[in-house]
Amino acid sequence: MTLFSLAKKNIKGNFNHYFVYFVTLVFSMVIYYTFAALQHSENIQESIELSDTMRFMFGVSSVILILFVAVFVLYSNSFFTRKRKKEVGLYAILGLRKKTIAKMLFYENLMMGIIALVIGIILGTLLSKLFAMILVKLMGSTTEVDFGISAMAIIQTVIVFMVIILFTSVQGYRLIYRFKLIELFHAEKKGEPIPKVSPISAVIGVVLLVGSYWLILRPLPDDWTTEYLLRNDGVAFLALVIGTHLFFRSVTVYLLKLSQRNKSRYYRGTKLIETSQLLYRIRGNARTFTVIALLSAATISFFGATYGGYYSNEKSAKEVVPFSYSFLSKGPEFDSQVENIIEADDQHPIQAQLEIPVIQIEGTLSFQLDYDINPVKLISASTFNQAAKALNRDETVSLTGDEAAVIQPRFTEYTEATFKGESVTLQLDRGSRQLRLDHMVEGNVLPFDYPDFYVVVSHDVFAEIARQEAPLTYNVYEVENETTAQATSEKVNKLVGNDFQVSSSFYTEYKKGKEGNALTLFIYGFLGLVFLAATGSIIYFKQLTEANEATGHYEILRKIGVSKRDIRRSVKKQSLFVFGLPLTVGILHSCVILYFISNFISDLIGVNLMVPILTAIAVFIIIYTVYYAWTVNTYNRIVNR
Amino acid sequence: MKTVVEAKQIKKVYGSKGNVFSALEDIDLTVMEGEFVGIMGPSGAGKTTLLNILATIDEPTSGDIVIDGINVTKMTEEQLSAFRRDKLGFLFQDYHLLDTLTVEENVILPLALAKMNVKELERRVDEVADTFGIRDILKKYPYQISGGQKQRTAASRAIISNPSLILADEPTGALDSKSATDLLECLKDLNEHDKATILMVTHDAYAASYCNRVLFIKDGNIFTELVKGERSRKAFFNKVLDVLSALGGGAHDVI
Ligand SMILES: Nc1ncnc2c1ncn2[C@@H]1O[C@H](COP(=O)(O)OP(=O)(O)O)[C@@H](O)[C@H]1O
Ligand SMILES: [Mg+2]
Repeated sequence: MTLFSLAKKNIKGNFNHYFVYFVTLVFSMVIYYTFAALQHSENIQESIELSDTMRFMFGVSSVILILFVAVFVLYSNSFFTRKRKKEVGLYAILGLRKKTIAKMLFYENLMMGIIALVIGIILGTLLSKLFAMILVKLMGSTTEVDFGISAMAIIQTVIVFMVIILFTSVQGYRLIYRFKLIELFHAEKKGEPIPKVSPISAVIGVVLLVGSYWLILRPLPDDWTTEYLLRNDGVAFLALVIGTHLFFRSVTVYLLKLSQRNKSRYYRGTKLIETSQLLYRIRGNARTFTVIALLSAATISFFGATYGGYYSNEKSAKEVVPFSYSFLSKGPEFDSQVENIIEADDQHPIQAQLEIPVIQIEGTLSFQLDYDINPVKLISASTFNQAAKALNRDETVSLTGDEAAVIQPRFTEYTEATFKGESVTLQLDRGSRQLRLDHMVEGNVLPFDYPDFYVVVSHDVFAEIARQEAPLTYNVYEVENETTAQATSEKVNKLVGNDFQVSSSFYTEYKKGKEGNALTLFIYGFLGLVFLAATGSIIYFKQLTEANEATGHYEILRKIGVSKRDIRRSVKKQSLFVFGLPLTVGILHSCVILYFISNFISDLIGVNLMVPILTAIAVFIIIYTVYYAWTVNTYNRIVNR
Repeated sequence: MKTVVEAKQIKKVYGSKGNVFSALEDIDLTVMEGEFVGIMGPSGAGKTTLLNILATIDEPTSGDIVIDGINVTKMTEEQLSAFRRDKLGFLFQDYHLLDTLTVEENVILPLALAKMNVKELERRVDEVADTFGIRDILKKYPYQISGGQKQRTAASRAIISNPSLILADEPTGALDSKSATDLLECLKDLNEHDKATILMVTHDAYAASYCNRVLFIKDGNIFTELVKGERSRKAFFNKVLDVLSALGGGAHDVI
């Protein structure tokens, strides 16, 4: 028998073990291929506005993907090799030289890698078109995707994965040399002691977890700095990682031991067997569980946050650029030129149009505010109310005399209490003028421009100041179906130029946000899926190794009168624990992290993250359920023959 | 007196067409309540096969088995599991203890599976712990105790549910002579005082001499039977040796 045919036989024989690994590997190849194809596709690039960003992001995420896949493949391989120590030992006894055995394992790995690669690329070319369509749909483009086979992507995928496969094959080759023959026969240690747990480390674990949650969840002080944030959340992150590890290492062991105290529950049916099996295994799984819980927490959080951004894009675009079009008046000729363009668009008829005079003036506040206010921009209350009405907003102001209202500067969390009882002093040509800041309103009426410090003043005061400081006039238009006004927006943008830090037209801002969010959503989504698949597959291996070691155990149980059905039920319960525990911890972590993110990232302030979080969690649970079902089935087939 | 085991025309054929091997030809066997029956024979005679069939772990190719008045050949896997749990106790050469459980938990297992209430369950453990002298090691794990202690643990587990029949396959096979004697004394006690019915496979004449009756199997058939009667154990032991040498091939198995 040649080495090749022996290797081939081995793959067939171990197919159960390899299958899930194989599927996961193929899946990550498909995703990598898709990323590469999108990165190189001229067609897609042309149809979207963020093509440079997109190219860059796909480049970066491909690298992340590759690093992750490399770790996954390496881990899985060392796992396979260790699992097969005994087999290797047997070959050695039969007189095969280490070199020959190592070569055989090398071929096995190589063969499997190449088969996976071929399938991965075939599926990749088929599926990447579908994935590209998803991306284009998410971005809100209407363009047809003409997305053929990408030679560049194929070459890139082949090269990258061949390197990984070769590298891991060599690792496998070297692993054999490090085995000592005597060890090979003790690969499955018998009678390992049940883990002892020191209550101290369990307590430390709980304290660290609670502490890190507290650090993450406590509100930011008003005068927080980046340094504060780095310190606070750096510590929180460290505590979370160590706490999670201790949780799996000690706290769960401790809880399981505690559950043994309740004899009437513990000595009932197969509970005894399950608890002791889990106790016996949990130490060895602690590190894997930690990695999985943290990884799934990160994936859910990022996915949730991005999805939240995507979900709320229209709302935040509307906050950044309230009117469909806004521009600084530059004389009747220019203004009517712009107006003609807007009027010419039959698809998007004008609903409202008005002029917003704004006075820009230096001013000082009666108190210390951590925000740059100059030049202060004044708007008359009557104009503000008209604009609010045109935008279908409820919030209006009514001001008399020296009363004034601050419009909450974007990206801040100031409240009315911040300004209550304070005043702003404006430097006019003829002396200064003090206004009382009695109110605060949310929602500007002009596009964002830093510093974003607008003060609404009464009609009379505005008229009075306007006599000394000539106001600038902005023309604003609100049109129907503004989310689709692409052509007109482009024309207006060209003519108007850079009146604001953001775009003059709502559509442009909306579209930019949507594409950016769609892109991150797409990338996180697929990266997340690969992470998930890989972690699911690792749990699967762990469980199967365990199943193989526990066949004797279950045989004894069957002999002394446990039915196959009860064994199946017991396998289900244990697998549920093994899949459910890290997932639950991951979900808890991600809820805390998302809460933090949604408070911190201003785009997400006030966004309801419920739908995105639930979606992300649901996807996680569905995928894990598939791996869980796979595991239970194979496990059961092994122990319940 | 009640009949505990009644096996009729048990046949067991291994393998499929073209390559069949008949492990049990045609075995009839009856065991009465309170008997301590030994099954002897050379290696490969079919002793384990017979015991496993009686234990409902294996199925006969043909034949009927009635244990405690119940025909076990017609039962489903589910029913058989419950039957084994409630009616049978097992002892194996390699102990068959679960290494993730303490000695106490191993012993309790059959009762826990039967969902007996904790008070009663703890009372029973207390009882058998003395019978087999394992009280001091109850909290230990199997890897922490000796082979003799392991087998006594297994024996405790076998009897804790007061089974109608205790089945033992070479229970002394892996033990030193002191531990073997201890175990056999315990089994004898159990048989004499508690009227436990025991069926024990062995190829060791010394172990067989503890039985009331010994069946000899050769090539899948019952070769002969020896009843202890009023004989002393020493005399019975010599008698067993005689039969073994007549049987041929088995003599070298004797210690
Ligand atoms: N599962 C099996 N498949 C095929 N042959 C078997 C099987 N189990 C036992 N045998 C054969 O049946 C015969 C009796 O075996 P066994 O009952 O184990 O003998 P022993 O009397 O030593 O316990 C032996 O020849 C053995 O090789
Ligand atoms: Mg045998």
